This record gives sequence, structure tokens and C-alpha cells, in this order.
Amino acid sequence: MIEVLSGGTWTTIQDRGRPGWERLGVSPGGPADWFAAAAANALVGNDPDAALLECTLIGPTLRFRRGAMVALMGGETATSENGIAFPVAAGAELKIGRVQRGLRTYLAVRGGIAVPRVMGSRALCQLGQFGGGFGRPLQAGDQLPIGNAPTPPSPQGGGRFSQRLPLVGPWEVRVIAGPHRNAFAADDFARFLNTAFRVTPRADRMGMRLQASGLRLHPVEILTTPVTQGAVQVTPSGEAIVLLAEHQTTGGYPVIATVISADWPLLGQARPGDTIHFREASLAEAQRARGRLDSWLRK
Amino acid sequence: MRRIVPAGDRALLIVFGDTMTPETLADVLTFEAALRRVKPHGLIGTVPAYASLLCTYDPDVISGPALERQLRALAAPQRKRLPQAVHEVPVRYEGPDLARVAQHAGLSVADVVSTHAATEYLVYAIGFAPGFTYCGILPEVLATPRLPSPRTRVEPGSVGIAGRQTGMYAVASPGGWNIIGRTDTVLFDPRRRPPARFRPGDRLRFVPA
Repeated sequence: MIEVLSGGTWTTIQDRGRPGWERLGVSPGGPADWFAAAAANALVGNDPDAALLECTLIGPTLRFRRGAMVALMGGETATSENGIAFPVAAGAELKIGRVQRGLRTYLAVRGGIAVPRVMGSRALCQLGQFGGGFGRPLQAGDQLPIGNAPTPPSPQGGGRFSQRLPLVGPWEVRVIAGPHRNAFAADDFARFLNTAFRVTPRADRMGMRLQASGLRLHPVEILTTPVTQGAVQVTPSGEAIVLLAEHQTTGGYPVIATVISADWPLLGQARPGDTIHFREASLAEAQRARGRLDSWLRK
Repeated sequence: MRRIVPAGDRALLIVFGDTMTPETLADVLTFEAALRRVKPHGLIGTVPAYASLLCTYDPDVISGPALERQLRALAAPQRKRLPQAVHEVPVRYEGPDLARVAQHAGLSVADVVSTHAATEYLVYAIGFAPGFTYCGILPEVLATPRLPSPRTRVEPGSVGIAGRQTGMYAVASPGGWNIIGRTDTVLFDPRRRPPARFRPGDRLRFVPA
């Protein structure tokens, strides 16, 4: 068992989420930076779907009732080294502290966080207020059960995982055009690609509002349509909203482009004030980029 | 005519039209049912809404172009009839925006209630948030624009109006619809199967409680 002494800014339990339930309005969820989460799980020898903690800005402080092997990956903190599994003794406290580079860091515990599955997943569904153990982010006093350690023992024991993706902006993020490119003027997509967007403070796990000075797109209205993670919606006032892991499942704003899944981890680490450039990619390039991240995880 | 466009590297969007009509919804749902029978390897899920259907897939199992070929090859099935059963949803018409809707329509509150309750609606989508039930088509006289700025919290069970749509909030969420009433019908429960009370294609009628 792990006792939460302080919940931090916004710490949630995540696994690979619940894809397939979007048809009932339930977002797939899962880590905002899926690559860092998968790497953290690999470091402690967990299954890739094991539940872990996504810590945002200021991480939690935890007391371990029994000893455990843990690893941090993603945003960097001053207190613990990223990318290496280390033991926490029974009775010891682990303070994650402030994420100094990047926005989100992932704490994996060997055996995983064993809260019950709801609709097939242990991840928090923020809008539905279910899953994630408590139906909300962690608070002081929460008790987190640790699952049974996987067998056979970790092949990664004592292994290291170097940070391979950037943690600070400016960000170059690859997109595939559409699906509602037709709702825009002919040169809007080219103008979109030539624009520097700034992340506003209105950013959370659902989406990030982006501002661009000088860019005015005036798309036509569209009928409510299903939307995906990575979708870049354009509002009638010309603002852009890029959807993250906990996105709404349908929307009424046209989507000018969709960020490829290999670059979702970058969006998960972008902070308010950061600059984002979008660059067009082909489906084949998206698949190669994804394959490269997957091959790093297998090493 | 169906149009298939990529929605990123893990989904395809099939567009059947651009209007809210029972016929287009029936096309979407007929196609979805046929697709779910075929179950292409690598298909993760389908999401119907109004006139489009999203198909999510695992690109490690099936490539986007390969899934697109399968979707195009799926013979356009005979349009299914939507279910005929009409579900009744009891509503207490006492929402904070009832007067705003009445004023916009130039009707009395009583006429707004009787007009809203006299119409049979179709569920066009479950989306936005868990269990949110989008229904149409609202009589034109009741059509009211969204609130100028959305509320930070709308209670579960709230019944609202936005444009030619009426809908129900299943869980507490922010929202910009005009709230005209409240139902005690549980619209979403993650521990129930199926978790959502309604699905696209259902017919329903609101009954003043």
C-alpha cells in the first residue's frame, strides 16, 4: 500500500485507457505522454498496460508501507533521477516535487497501482468522475494498493532509459491534414502551417487552447461530428484547440489537421507560453515515427 | 454518397452527409451495424454522430489504406428502419433558462413546455461527455442559440436546448445549452451494461413530471 501525503497539482492514475467506448461519450483517456508512461512501466518490468501515476507540475508526496521498485520518466524533477529504476524502502517517503523541464512526469511502481478497473480500465475518467481509484485526482489520505509483481522478473532490472524526446519548446509537431479541410478556405492549411502558435493557460488533459497573432481562419460551421486525440479544432473566433487524451468525443468545430500519435507525447509536455509549429506529415511518415518510438521501448 | 477521410494516423472518418435528418442517421447506423458484423481485424471502435461515423484502428494491425479499402468494399447495405419503440423521459420543466427560451420564442413558458413535450425526438449521438444524449429535431419555434458564455457546471439530468437540438447532460460538466428542465432518469452509469441509457437511433418523448 502507498499512502498519499500530498496529492500535488493534478495527479491521476492512468493506464492505457478505455479505447472503444467513445461511442458512449467516454473518452479513451490514458497518459497525456504515452511514451514516457510506457518507458516508466518498462523500467520496473511492468506490463505496458499497468496503472501508474501521471504527475502534473507539482507531483505528490507518498509514503510506502512496503518496499517497492519504482521509476520516473517524462518531465524532470529536482528530487529523483529519471530513467532508472530505484528501490523505495518500507516506511520511506518519496517526494516527487516540481516538474522543472516538461510538464508531466510518470511514476511507475513495480506491480502497478491495483485500483479496480471500471469499463475495462483503471484510468481516471475526469468528466465521468469514475475510474482512477477515486473518480478524481489524488488527494492526501488516499491509499493506493500495489499489484503483484509480474513474473518473470524484470528483464530491465537495473536498466536505464535515456530521455529521447524533447521536454521543452519550441515544439515542432507533425500533423495529417483534415478531416475537415473542406470547411476552410483553400490557402488556410498553408497559412496554418506557417503560423507560430502559443499555448495559453487554458490547457488541461482534455485540450489546449492555442493562440496565433495575425492568423485569422474563418471556417464554415459543421454538423456535430466525432473527434479524436490530436485533432486541431478551429473556433469561429479563429482560436485553435488541440485535443489531448481526455478529449470530448464529439465536437462542432471543424478540424483543420490532426497531430500524429508519435507526437502526442510532445503535446503532453508543452507548457503554457510555449510555441508550437505544425508541420505536415504523410501517413507513412506517421507510421515510421510511431515504429521508432515502439522500437526504443523494446530495447 | 460516402466520403472517407483520415482523422490522423489511427482513425478514418466516414461522412454520409452534412445535415441532421433521420435518413442520414439511418445510413450511418446501417453502415455501422454492417461493419460491426464484418469486424475488420485491427478495428478498435466505431463512433456514430449525426451524419458521420468515426472508425478507430490499430495501425500495427491494419494500415489506414487497407482499412479504407475494406470500408469501400463493404456493400452499401439496404437502409435499416430505426427502432419504432418510443421511450418516455419524465422531465420537471423548471430549468434556469426556461424564461430565456420563452422570450426568444415569443411564447409563454407553458407553451414552451407543451411544444417541447409534444414532439417525438430521435437520438442523433451520444457524445461530448459520457452519456450526453443529443436529440433532434427541435421545432423551429423553440430553437435558441447557446448561452453567450457557458456555465462552469451543469447538473446531471439537465435537459437543454441549443439551436435545433435538445439534449440531456448525463454527468456534471461545463455547458452552454439553455437548461429548461431536469430528469431523474439515470442516463449513464459506468457499472451498468450498457452504461448509457440511450443510443443513437432511439426515439424518445419528454413527459412533464
